[in-house]
Formats: sequence, C-alpha cells, structure tokens
Amino acid sequence: MSRLRRIRSETIAAARSFLRRRTAVFFTFFFPVILVVIFGALVRTQPTGGGLFAEPAGYYLPGYIGVVVLFTPLSRVGSEIARHRDGNRFEKLATTPLTRVEWLLAHTLVNVAIIGVASLLVFGLVLLVTDAAVRITPALAAVAAFVAVGVAAFCGVGAVLGSVADTQDGVIAASNTIALPLLFLSETFVPPSLLPGWFLPAVAVSPLTYFARGVRAITYDGGPWAGDLAVLAAIAVLTLAVGARLLPRTE
Amino acid sequence: MRTDSDADGSGGGTTADTGGGTNDGGRADDGEPVLHAADVHKSYGDVTALSGADLAVGRGEVFGLIGPNGAGKTTLVRALTGTTSVDGTVRVLGTQPAAVDPERIGLLPQSFDPPGRLTARELVSYYAGLYTDARDVDAVLADVGLESDADAWYETLSGGQRRRACVATALVNDPDVLFLDEPTTGIDPAGRRDIHRVIRAAAAAGTTVFLTSHAMSEVEQLADRVGLMREGTIVAVGSPTSLIAEYGGHPTLSVTLEIPETDGPTDAATAREAGVAAIRSNTHFEIRERGAHADSVADPTAGQTADGTHGPHGTAIEVDDVPLEGINDVLDALTAAGIDVESVSWSEPSLEDVYLELTGEAYRPTGTEESIDTADSTAGSGPSSSRAATDGGSR
Repeated sequence: MSRLRRIRSETIAAARSFLRRRTAVFFTFFFPVILVVIFGALVRTQPTGGGLFAEPAGYYLPGYIGVVVLFTPLSRVGSEIARHRDGNRFEKLATTPLTRVEWLLAHTLVNVAIIGVASLLVFGLVLLVTDAAVRITPALAAVAAFVAVGVAAFCGVGAVLGSVADTQDGVIAASNTIALPLLFLSETFVPPSLLPGWFLPAVAVSPLTYFARGVRAITYDGGPWAGDLAVLAAIAVLTLAVGARLLPRTE
Repeated sequence: MRTDSDADGSGGGTTADTGGGTNDGGRADDGEPVLHAADVHKSYGDVTALSGADLAVGRGEVFGLIGPNGAGKTTLVRALTGTTSVDGTVRVLGTQPAAVDPERIGLLPQSFDPPGRLTARELVSYYAGLYTDARDVDAVLADVGLESDADAWYETLSGGQRRRACVATALVNDPDVLFLDEPTTGIDPAGRRDIHRVIRAAAAAGTTVFLTSHAMSEVEQLADRVGLMREGTIVAVGSPTSLIAEYGGHPTLSVTLEIPETDGPTDAATAREAGVAAIRSNTHFEIRERGAHADSVADPTAGQTADGTHGPHGTAIEVDDVPLEGINDVLDALTAAGIDVESVSWSEPSLEDVYLELTGEAYRPTGTEESIDTADSTAGSGPSSSRAATDGGSR
C-alpha cells in the first residue's frame, strides 16, 4: 500500500505539473495534428499517384500514432529529469522512501495517459482527413496496449537520455537526434522494401518497428501482432530498468 | 530518490566504513551520536571537497555548520544524507546513511527548486504522500506561516514564501534528523523568525537539526554547537559562546574625539595622540592599532581628506578588550586630559568575528601577529590542529 501511495502521489504531482504548463500541453497535441494535416491531407498518401507516399492511407496510421508515442516520452521524461536535476529535486527524493523505479513508473503513467489521449486524437483525425480504412475487429482494443507499452519503452529511453545529458538543451538535442531516424526507419512511413537489405537488421532493433508492425497488423493488414507486443513489452521492461538505474541522485 | 536496494535497507552510501563509535565532540545524551563522521574525504577530480572532516552530533541538538563558499559544507550534508559516496566513516542514527529509514530523515537541499505549478498545499501534500506516516499538511503549512498563501502556485510566491514552503517539505514527515542547507536564504526577517521558531520547536521535540548557513547571527541564535569548515575540514567546533570566547576577540570600544572644524590635520593627529596617551597612562586597556573597519588609526594621517583636514574617522581610537563596566574608565581618562569626546560605540565579539578569524580574514589587533599567522594556516596541518577545538557544548 505504501508503494501505491508513493506512486500515486508522484503521479498526481507530475500530472498537475504538466497539465498546468499550457504551452507544453498545446504542442503535445498540436504537433501530431499538424503532421496528419500536412502529410495526410495536403501531401496526401495515394497508391495510384498524386501523393508522396506509395502505400494506401491506412498503412500510415501506425506512423502518425508513432510520432506521439516516440517523440513525447523522449522529450518529456528527458526534460523532466533535467528539471529535477537542476532543482536538486533528486537529491531530496533520494532521502524519501520513493524509489527510482517508482518515480519512473509514475512519470510513465502520466505519459501513457497523455499520449493515450493524443493517440485517440490522431486516430480520429486520420480517419477524418484521409481516406484511411481501418479494420474494425475486437483486436482493435490491443492498439491501446501497444500505445501504453510503446510509451513505456520510450519513457525508459527518455530516462536514459535525461540522465546522460547534462542540460535540458542536451536532452532535446539528443532526443531529436534519436527520434528522427527512428521515426522514418521503423516501418512507419518508409516500407522496408524501400530500404537497402543491409540496413534491415537496424530496423529490427528499433522498438518503434514492433509498434508499427503490431498496430498495422491490427488496423490494416490483419496479420499476427501478439509477438510484436511481446517484443515491445520486453524492450519496455529493459529500457525502464536501465533508465531507472541511471536516474541521478546527486552526482 | 532511493534505489530499490536502498529501500530494503541494504544500500551503502560510503565506500569505506570503518565502523561506528562515538566522538566526544558530539553532545550525545544517550551514548552514540545521531550523526557521526570521521576522517571523511571526497574529491571531484582534482578538486578536494572534503579532506578529513570529523563530526559528532547528539540527539535533539541543533548543529550549525558555517564556512566560506566551497568549504565543503554541502558535500558534507550530502555525505550524511547518503546522496554522495565518500571515503571514511559516516554514521546516521547508528547506521550507514543510505541504509537509514527514510521516514526518519528530512532534507532541504541547497538551491532546492520544486515544481513551480503546484500550490504550496499541493507541494507539501506531494511530499507527504511519499511517507507512510506524514503530518497533517495544513498543520505543517501553519508551522511555517503559509496558511494564507497555501493555495497559490509555488512560482507565484515571494522568495521568502517559497523557502518556507521548501522547509515545510522537509518537516512533513516529522523527521528524527533534519538537514537544512541554507534554509533562510532569501527570506525576509519575519519569515526568518518563523523558520527559526520551527527549528527550535523541532529540536525541542527531540529532532536533531543539522543546519548550514551564511547568516552568522542565525547560527549564533539557533545552534547549540557550531562547526566551522574550511577547505574540506572542520577547523573548530563548539558552542557559539565558547567559540566566541576562544576565537572572537574582545569587546571593542570605539571613541571619536571632538576636534573643532577649523583645526588642521596636525592638530587632529596631535589630539588623537594625546587621547591615546591618556588612555594608556590612566587605564590598563590596549589601543587597537590596525583595523579592518577603522580606516586604521595606526596611520596618523588616516581619515584625512585630500586637502589635509581630518575626516570623520581621523580622531577615532579603538580600545581593545573593554568590558561594559570599563567604558567609564576610558572616558574619565580622556576627560581628565581635557579631551572632548564626540561619540562612543561599544561592540561585543560575535560568531562573525570567529568566522573571520578562522577563515584568515580577521583584522590584526596589537601584538597578535601570531594569532593571525595561525589563522592563515588553519586549513592545513600543524597550527590548525592545535587550534581546532572540540567542545561538548551545552544547550
């Protein structure tokens, strides 16, 4: 019960802190929206010519959702760690019963909630402004699990970046450097058939690849997805463990 | 925050721990000191932060740690709270710092900056939620004088109110040991009084308070014992009274002689010399010849203006070691010599004088070159060892 109480307290404080930063909230939701509008409605994705991307619109749904699943946890958790370190908050927390795992778990929960809402928004917007066709099956509910586990995985990566980078600027630069290649080389917007064969093993290393494959299997092509979810979950456990281990105390 | 292993009580904060034991310097009513450090070393690359710090603090004691910037105060706090690893022995509540039950520790770190968009109440509630048995949040806010501003965001509070809120977060678990690293920085006098009252109340209830501060008067008022830190080691420990008696110097009487404005500089110097002679011949007090804040009366031309007339301090005489009841003796000696006195001030030594003396910045009283030389070398071995005092002190 004490552990739950601590996680609850950290979660509430983290959620309040984020939701009261209106600019951060606005751009958390606005960023994926403009992406969908630009690529889905203006550039367009049509297989028969007239669009930049060759696949049908439904193919790219995991990519649009993947943008928020990837970018937001990386930058939010990393920046939060930088803020905590700058304000000597970790030094204080080190003398409380809250553990590093509990801290990261609490912030992951906040991110899952925020990005879950953002993903719903993206999902609806893609259906609204593109002609994407989505398979309506009971498995559609598992997309939520992919979002949650994917966010957790990138919260772990964000924790690593926040712990290694020594400033907020460093966190942002590092997260952008990692996120941009991942976004386009994880079977999101660029099909593996367009990549050179020697590069494909690198695609298999990206957590976002398993997110994209799994969500696409559920919403678009109807393939198996449980294996992708399992791999993503294993990656999430690993990154969260490493991220929690690296969280700073004082030095 | 703690690691999971720390939470289980098996973590280690020191890289070398030679065991517990007691230190006669700590006022430990029930035997073992609550805080104990022996020969603690810590370096950051080539920079030495701690170079053999020793310390013992007893239960319910308010211990004040003072010293120049960079002396190692915050590093010592971190060593005691287990947030940095050090070489040497560190014990808190009889065990290694990282293994101490965190429910028993309260910390206000230096330059602590909590989330700005939580209200003061939410902030204290947040930290209360991290403990199993926390105090009532409103009661803690009332203790630090923040009841009326409890629902304002932290970032909208004044500097003093923010610091009060931060202190509240350290008090919310009713700790047995409270570490406050410069708790009143930026707080106005009224707020400082509130914090002082809270610290006294905590100590009266049995909490051991470890306090660092640059406000000498604050430490002098609050601390049962004071440790003065310099270059990574504690060079003197004792009650404020004992430290002032040993290192603070003597009460000083400052007398400004009255000279008509028409007199030239030679007359002022002559009058001053007459005054010095009168005091020396009719009292046993010594004249302070050099001063950090007296424009040096050792120089007969001190205080002269550019045109050679005397300035406001040209006829000032500082008389050393004059007790309150000795003031009349000095004034009588001057009056008997026909010298009129313009003004008189008398000051007792304070902890600030101790600080200045032991950090090598003291002024040089007549015939005390040896003490200055010693003060200049207190950080190293040799003379510093003989000057470093350990005093059990008393509350």
